[in-house]
Amino acid sequence: MAEALAKSEFTGTGHAPAKSFELFARPTAKTGLVGWLTTVDHKKIGMLYGGFAILFFLIGGLEALLIRTQLIVPNNRFISAQLYNELFTMHGTTMIFLAVMPLNAAFFNLLVPIQVGARDVAFPRLNAFSLWVWVAGATLLNVGWISHLVPSWNFGGAPDVGWFGYSPLTSKVFTPDLSTDFWVLGIQMLGLSSIVASLNFIVTIINMRAPGLTMMRLPVFTWMALVTSFLLILALPAIAIALVEVMFDRNFGTNFFEVSGGGQPILWQHLFWVFGHPEVYILILPPMGYVSEILPTFSRKPLFGYPIVIFSGVAIGFIGFGVWSHHMFTTGLGTVATAAFAIATMAIAVPTGVKIFNWIGTLWGGHIVTRVPMMFALGFIWMFMLGGFSGIMHAAAPADAQQQDSYFVIAHFHYVLIGGATFALLAAIHFWFPKFFGRMVPEFWGKVSFWLIFVGFNCTFFPMHFLGLNGMPRRTWIYDSNMGWNEGNLFATIGAYLLGLGIFTYFAVLVYSFFKGQKCGNDPWDARTLEWSIPSPPPEHNFAAIPQVHARDAWWYEKTHQEEIAKEKAANIKAEEAHGGIHIPDQSWYPIIAGMGLLFGTYNLAQLKHPVVMFGNQVLGSHAPLAIAGLSIVVLACYLWSLEGPGGYHIHLDADGNAKESGGYHH
Amino acid sequence: MTRTRSAHRKVLRFAIALIAGFSLALSSGCNKLHQVFSLSGPQSTMVTEGPVAKSQWDLFMVTVYVTTFIFIVVGAVLAYAQIKFRAKSDADEHAAVPAEAGHGNPFVEIGLIAGSVALLVIIAIPTLSGIWYTHDVPEAERGNAIDVTATGYQWWFKFDYNAEMMPLPGGGEAALVTGNELVVPAGTPVRVHLRTIDVIHSFWIPKLAGKVDMMPNRPNFVWFKADKPGYYYGQCAEYCGESHAIMRFRVIALSAADYVKWLANQKQPARTVTVQTAAADAALPHVQFASLTLNDGRAFGGSPGFDADPLTAWRKIQQPAASENASLIAAGRKLFKDKTCVSCHTIRGHDGAGIVGPDLTHIGARSSVAAGALENTPERLHQWIKDPEYFKPGNKMFHGFGGMQGYMKPDDKGGTVPNIVLNDQEIDALVAYLHSLK
Repeated sequence: MAEALAKSEFTGTGHAPAKSFELFARPTAKTGLVGWLTTVDHKKIGMLYGGFAILFFLIGGLEALLIRTQLIVPNNRFISAQLYNELFTMHGTTMIFLAVMPLNAAFFNLLVPIQVGARDVAFPRLNAFSLWVWVAGATLLNVGWISHLVPSWNFGGAPDVGWFGYSPLTSKVFTPDLSTDFWVLGIQMLGLSSIVASLNFIVTIINMRAPGLTMMRLPVFTWMALVTSFLLILALPAIAIALVEVMFDRNFGTNFFEVSGGGQPILWQHLFWVFGHPEVYILILPPMGYVSEILPTFSRKPLFGYPIVIFSGVAIGFIGFGVWSHHMFTTGLGTVATAAFAIATMAIAVPTGVKIFNWIGTLWGGHIVTRVPMMFALGFIWMFMLGGFSGIMHAAAPADAQQQDSYFVIAHFHYVLIGGATFALLAAIHFWFPKFFGRMVPEFWGKVSFWLIFVGFNCTFFPMHFLGLNGMPRRTWIYDSNMGWNEGNLFATIGAYLLGLGIFTYFAVLVYSFFKGQKCGNDPWDARTLEWSIPSPPPEHNFAAIPQVHARDAWWYEKTHQEEIAKEKAANIKAEEAHGGIHIPDQSWYPIIAGMGLLFGTYNLAQLKHPVVMFGNQVLGSHAPLAIAGLSIVVLACYLWSLEGPGGYHIHLDADGNAKESGGYHH
Repeated sequence: MTRTRSAHRKVLRFAIALIAGFSLALSSGCNKLHQVFSLSGPQSTMVTEGPVAKSQWDLFMVTVYVTTFIFIVVGAVLAYAQIKFRAKSDADEHAAVPAEAGHGNPFVEIGLIAGSVALLVIIAIPTLSGIWYTHDVPEAERGNAIDVTATGYQWWFKFDYNAEMMPLPGGGEAALVTGNELVVPAGTPVRVHLRTIDVIHSFWIPKLAGKVDMMPNRPNFVWFKADKPGYYYGQCAEYCGESHAIMRFRVIALSAADYVKWLANQKQPARTVTVQTAAADAALPHVQFASLTLNDGRAFGGSPGFDADPLTAWRKIQQPAASENASLIAAGRKLFKDKTCVSCHTIRGHDGAGIVGPDLTHIGARSSVAAGALENTPERLHQWIKDPEYFKPGNKMFHGFGGMQGYMKPDDKGGTVPNIVLNDQEIDALVAYLHSLK
């Protein structure tokens, strides 16, 4: 045991080099603005991800409500065609890249290190860098909205090429304004952020597991985080390359997608969907993880068929790379390719079905406690199942020729992404809120919000199946009154308002609970995984003693083997103290400086060939010097970051496991 | 305790009855689903009017049957588990947890996987045959198929009749061209070659065939056959920029004899109305603009009368109006030239050789204008010419294109100023002229 601990990076001796070059003194504030901006603590970074993601989730929801308001009656002139196109582009982009992905990232940050029994991720400063690059990308994507408020900032409004940015609509010929340049670079940065974060989590999960935590004891959520991270690092390069090509076409006269120069717009679709389809699983695998954590807890029974749930997750990840062209059944792939992708798409339904069977197996013979997280998790199974069925319908390629780009598809993927991903995320937020804020969310208001969301969601999206079968194409700003679409749209819009009310209630209750919720202990749900073994909210160092894992549901095991565990813990604390105490890395300014440098650089890179105008006067002929300045900040910050060294200090615990002093070689 | 249990049983029984009732309605409804939910709009994929759309709908119904079966089985088990294994007391909620994790039952897992695969095979087989059937005209019918080329423009459709070659004024020949309304013979397979002049569009007439995209640098095609004469609504189904929502078109299927007649008329150069052919004492144009002042007077779409029977309306518009004002028409023809409409539009036999906008040689015989957005009545055509930007934001007629100026032209300050200015009288004349082009 002591040997295992000695091998653990954070408890060994002789790391942390001597003090090196520092431009900025390392910040020590634990609270306040500086504390949050310079933090490298995975829990704080997770909360920042979560906070920003919820903000964008609400913005994306507002965009959706504006879209639904425009469609409430036929021939509506509530908003213009141009604004509508911006709204649906940004609704999609926001919900995928700025809401669901970062909410998943928030839970990766909050949970993965604790579930593997570690004190932080493998590279804490890199983790902060991922966050700030994400913030930069999110800002750049939304910067175009300012044109609607300040017309002299002529960016052409927010991006309006669709979240899929199909070439050649993204060509300078068809969208000459800057909004597309911002979109290209914004998505590029979000991709960079995700790749960096994913590498961090892969290393963390593989290398930093507590002693005894074998891969087949790993909580399902952490497993899904691992699979998702691999999907991200394999899928994102495809779109990164495609985005670079669009950028070059727009600014430097290349012809990757320029039809007049012999470019092939179909190539964009392949590159986009080679990323875009794994992206679907990037969005849904972590939610499958939350549900696999919540169902056993509230069924009071271990997960049924743990290995096969894991293997199906991995299988989904693999097959997910072989089905991208089912988004392109109408592009004229030819018979053989269409057939191959249709069959592969049907195949991916099998591991997905297996997961559902095993979740039902988990409920079977259990003692189901219908608390709010469980209600959302059960809602997830039902709604995700319906979304899966319409997915199978799309796999039948000839039938898909009628459904593709119709409201049927909108119904399908909202069942998967709201009924699926979002329900699971709302379950997860409610489930882990007590852990990270030390307070419970009131059960009654949680249930009210669940039923509002459940009813509102189904009223909004179920009619869309029929709108699609009745021939309503998507991304259309206006429709005629004689098409038979009036009732369905009216119903859907009323549902959307109800859904909006439900979401508002849900988050209003969270805000209330943050201040006034009933205080709770370590383990309010009698749960199974390691995060429930530590205080709520967790201390900076997570674990007083690195846990020794004996079983799959590690914390349930600990609860029934208290004597054995207490002995181990005491020994571990002693061994760790002998190695100098608990090491905590120092905070740093450089991740946020690099991130903001990237924002400044790409903001100017997007406007490269436009003159710099300040107060009506032309200051510079092009934005190139500013772009170079911004990117130089990034290089410099990374350089100084590497000179700065990891730093850190040690925490020493008293016999009860409370921090009694923090010291050691603090800079 | 027993009371709650019987309540649960009631819930369960109700759920089973509901599911059974729904599936019964579904199976007895068969292909009548659209009647149950009244989903027979002009673009309904459920009310099929040709073999391609029918095969696609039939396949869709196979997927509905299979998934409904799965839903009933899995849903019933899930619902049963949720009700049966619900914690019924406080002690139940804190029941001891089993010691070791379940590995699942390998026979159950393998059985379920095998069952799922078998059900998917039921879908896969008709899917594969459907892929080949919908791809191209069946071998046996290929001989009598007609070939047309549809070209997508931001935001309208051009149709070329590849086999109907027309002599060009300066020598050579070109295919017969029409815009936004594709007229075909019923009962004859039609192969539509799909091209685009700019971005990606998608060609979709739901009642006849599923969509296929118009991809740049890619020779796609789609085929369909209309079972009987009819008037079919279609729409671009790939987001193609600002006015994507208003890129619509029509397919009009005629009996073989009617089609031949229509084709013969289309091949004629533009119709010229002279004083002799017009009623001598024709009254001044009897055009009502009352609806213009109403908000809903500018809504998209056809009038109720038109929507009720569009094919009859289409036939009616083939005939010249009872009274035509030759001098007004002549004034309109002159304006069409003077106001530079001819730079973008062609009226074969009259003026213009523009290819940026739709060919207007027989615009008077089309049932819609502005790419299917408005019924082709004098009022609606007047509205369209008066304010195209209102109906189709971003259109080239208003904004100009590639150095050609539209209603607006750029000024020196980076803004725009009016270029083509038309008053109501001038628009009346243009409408009269365009409507004379039967």
